[in-house]
Amino acid sequence: MREWAAKHRWESILIVVLAATIVVNVSLSPFYLGFGNFVNLFWLSIEKIIVVIVMTFVIINGEIDLSVASVMGFSAAVMATLYEGGEMAFVLAILIGIVAGALAGLLQGLVITRFGLPSLVVTLAGLIGFRGAARVLLEDRSVGDFPEWFERIGQQTLFGPFPVALVLFFVGLALAWIILERSAFGRKVYVIGNSADVARFSGIEVDSVKVRLFVASGTVAGLAGVLFAARVGAVQGTLGETYELDIITMVLLGGVSIFGGSGSMLGVVLALFTVLNIRNGLGLANIDGITQTGVIGLLLIGSVLVPNLARRYRLRRPAPEAMAHGPP
Amino acid sequence: MSEPRPVIEIKGVSKRFDATQALSEVSLSLRAGEIHSLVGENGAGKSTLIKIMTGLYPADSGEMTLGGEPFAPRSSADAQRQGIAAIYQEPSVFPDLSVAENIFIGHQDQGMMVDWSTMYREASRILAKLDIEIDPRLPAAGLTVAGQQAVEIAKAISLDVRVLIMDEPTAALSAHEVDRLFRQVRSLKEAGVSVLFITHRLEELFAISDRISVFRDGRHISTRPANEVTEESLVREMVGRDPSDFFARGEHPEGEAVLRVDSLGVSGVFSDVTFDVRRGEVLGFAGLVGSGRTDIALSLFGVHPADEGTIELEGQTLDIRSPRQALASGIAYLSEDRRRLGLSVEQSLVANVTLATLNRYTSALGLIDRDQERADAEALRQRLGIRAPSLSTPVSQLSGGNQQKTMLAKWLNTHPKVLILDEPTRGIDVGAKADVHKFIDELATSGIAIMLISSDLPEVIAMSDRVAVMREGSLIGIYPRRDATQERIMTAAVGAR
Repeated sequence: MREWAAKHRWESILIVVLAATIVVNVSLSPFYLGFGNFVNLFWLSIEKIIVVIVMTFVIINGEIDLSVASVMGFSAAVMATLYEGGEMAFVLAILIGIVAGALAGLLQGLVITRFGLPSLVVTLAGLIGFRGAARVLLEDRSVGDFPEWFERIGQQTLFGPFPVALVLFFVGLALAWIILERSAFGRKVYVIGNSADVARFSGIEVDSVKVRLFVASGTVAGLAGVLFAARVGAVQGTLGETYELDIITMVLLGGVSIFGGSGSMLGVVLALFTVLNIRNGLGLANIDGITQTGVIGLLLIGSVLVPNLARRYRLRRPAPEAMAHGPP
Repeated sequence: MSEPRPVIEIKGVSKRFDATQALSEVSLSLRAGEIHSLVGENGAGKSTLIKIMTGLYPADSGEMTLGGEPFAPRSSADAQRQGIAAIYQEPSVFPDLSVAENIFIGHQDQGMMVDWSTMYREASRILAKLDIEIDPRLPAAGLTVAGQQAVEIAKAISLDVRVLIMDEPTAALSAHEVDRLFRQVRSLKEAGVSVLFITHRLEELFAISDRISVFRDGRHISTRPANEVTEESLVREMVGRDPSDFFARGEHPEGEAVLRVDSLGVSGVFSDVTFDVRRGEVLGFAGLVGSGRTDIALSLFGVHPADEGTIELEGQTLDIRSPRQALASGIAYLSEDRRRLGLSVEQSLVANVTLATLNRYTSALGLIDRDQERADAEALRQRLGIRAPSLSTPVSQLSGGNQQKTMLAKWLNTHPKVLILDEPTRGIDVGAKADVHKFIDELATSGIAIMLISSDLPEVIAMSDRVAVMREGSLIGIYPRRDATQERIMTAAVGAR
């Protein structure tokens, strides 16, 4: 137990914070422990947390994808536009919407690997470009009146009390966990995040891994956009706007290094539960959304600051310059 | 004639990095208006001394005085304020600033506003004094390496330095540019500046130096007036050690050639390199840093594919465009840069050992067979004697020697036909060094063809069946072990007669 805590320092801190949040929430509201609230907890952020799973891979790999929220909007807009045209089976429109997300990821992944550009810049362009495309497709319309079965996917339950999207989230999470920590692909994601040069010198297909990750990111974002449409029952050009910030926040709060190479699925899941519970608790206590966001922001600053300050403190003794140069 | 008083005096300075004693009890003094050259093999301690003199490292012990006052710079800016500046092989000018701004960048006493006309006039005056024809208004980015060095010399003059250190300033210059640089250095000398000059080229050494000091293995060996030094005595002092101090490899029967390299070249780096490596043979590569040894390895490993010549492995011609292809063909390369290119240090020992062979442990579903992975890593750990708390320990927590062995384990696990070892014992302690030598011998005996690149001359000679010598991108010759004396190889490597 103690050994585990020493090895997983960040996860241990998160467990304590999460436990404290739950205790406060229970004392704040009698509704907190109800099953309805449990589903509700995930439900309001379900699209975000689905994307968080794939963003974890991208950031561990040493990259970032700022375009996810715009791709959500883009995929949903493609789907809605095709549906509005009325010529096509709706199932096909959904599929094309998700494929559009995958292609958006493929395009960005290829630009990043072929031209050696930083993903920060390329996906920032994606953030603007795909949002623009969604706006162009829908202008200021709101497309709704989807078939009843589609809205049922978004709003009704599949097994017992669980909606489809929530089931998708938990299945996806389990798969991602296995892939990240048990598969060769997951190992490569970590190694590339540590040092792409070491990976390349070990014969690992660095560019292919990166492209596959961006395709996965785009596909999952596309799926999340479609799920969002199903839950809300309408699509606008602004669907999902600014979600990328919350998504990246949860990953970093989970202890994933923004420089790549380290982090765990467990940490991200704990961070995700913590953020959802804090928001839920503040909501139950009737605290407005803007203040909630402020609290989450403070948490993020703390999560980035604390480990870095701790490291600096540990490295205080030898002169920093000598450390950087090493022996000749 | 009385001894002129030294400008800077270094007494008994020592510096240690982990297991490596980089400098031990070194003493050196520079006189005003003297060009003093410092020579020694790679790793002799020259760079460490420079870094101590310019405030990048503190010395562990010993003392320095500058103009009679105690001198212990805390940073390179501090050293510069006190009158010591250094110019390196790669000049560090600010490309977007003008030549004049670069010259005066170290001056911090000019108030808020820049007086451009005075600055340009002053810059022109200094440049003219050095006989440099550069417009001080141009951005430094457009200058050649020689031009950038000239700007750095001008900067040193503007700062009124007392000691100027030049670390291999001629490495990237043409013969014509070297002449001009030497004229500038001599005008510094006339102005009373002491110049500490470092070069690997012996002919330059005799052309420019007043006195020459030799370093070896972190020790000061000798300081003599240049006219009392001969090439022969210099080479002898630089080499010094005896190959019999090392693990001696036994005689081997000669196998057939595994790897044949014919007229290989990468334009601008090395050209027309032809050699073969036989089964069970260790082919040593000697030469100075930058002579092209590592570049040959990088081209065989597909990092910088060759533009000319052929590579044949076991009779088959290969076109290697990536490390992935090289590994698939059976060529493995242990890099000299362990931290940047060799190991994923945040990852565990197991993950590093199987890094280049992950596919072997991957099931159809893409999952890693962790039992098999651990079993193979454990076998290699025992075989190489890697000391680690467990197989799951991150490699960053292992000592340098054990990290080196981990890297070796990673490449052995690829079952290579040709193994290229680039400085396999650099920066590791004596015990780990002896272990690595023993493995190299075992591996060769087991039938792997080995290329051993090493700047440690006695090591190359003791470990190799034949020694190839590189100089400035050309393969000068391949010497069988019985002909490979240190003097002969050093002479070939530095281009002395």
